[in-house]
Amino acid sequence: MTLAAPLAAPLAGSALVLGSWVAYMATVPSGKVPPKPWGHLAAQAIGGLMAVGGLAGALRGGGGLIAPALLSGTAVTMSGLFFFLYSQRSTPVGEIRVTVGDRLRPFTATTPDGRRFDSASLEGRRVLLKFFRGHW
Amino acid sequence: MAEQGVEIIALSKDTPQDAALHRERDGLSLQLLADPNLDVIRDYGLEHHKAVEFSTGRFTLLGIPLALVPSLKTMAVPTTLLIDEQGVIRWIDQTDDYRLRSAESRILAEIRRTFG
Repeated sequence: MTLAAPLAAPLAGSALVLGSWVAYMATVPSGKVPPKPWGHLAAQAIGGLMAVGGLAGALRGGGGLIAPALLSGTAVTMSGLFFFLYSQRSTPVGEIRVTVGDRLRPFTATTPDGRRFDSASLEGRRVLLKFFRGHW
Repeated sequence: MAEQGVEIIALSKDTPQDAALHRERDGLSLQLLADPNLDVIRDYGLEHHKAVEFSTGRFTLLGIPLALVPSLKTMAVPTTLLIDEQGVIRWIDQTDDYRLRSAESRILAEIRRTFG
């Protein structure tokens, strides 16, 4: 067995998983996130399985385990994270308390400079009010 | 959007400090609002409990984040409201999948439809 063989599957699995992550995240800034990312889910699953299989092979084959374990661990963790996040995608939309035709519910908030903002100041202005999840 | 005189205001559960950093980091010109206690978000029925948030947490080296740690937080359901001069809500756009946001083209089309 060559030196590279035990590393081939963990390496390929990690490359597949991380490559899919990078490609997926690249769609975020432009707002072109795929609604049903089947290709990514397949890549994540196959990459994760390759990593697990590769690690199992490395365990059976003896020899160095640190590199296969690190690579496979990364691939499996990142693949699991992808599936976990995808499973968390739905948002509770049914609880909104305003509807089209309603008046704005008066509110106050704080500006980034720490000043108080009152929605009364929006009177006479056309506004696109975005509720968003926060910075990241 | 400037044509129809529509201003953009974006509110989140970020603290004013977070919002100030966000505005500076991303060079935002829109008005950000901070609602750290979720008073407004709750009043509008837009709470998303146990949403996944990523933070750099304590995994930093010389101020550079080394990892993004997921945690579950309550935050707003991404929602867009179009409001006219009388304070009347003319359009509501919500997503049932937080990964997918109001598309720019859809917002612009709606603004043109509403305000001509």
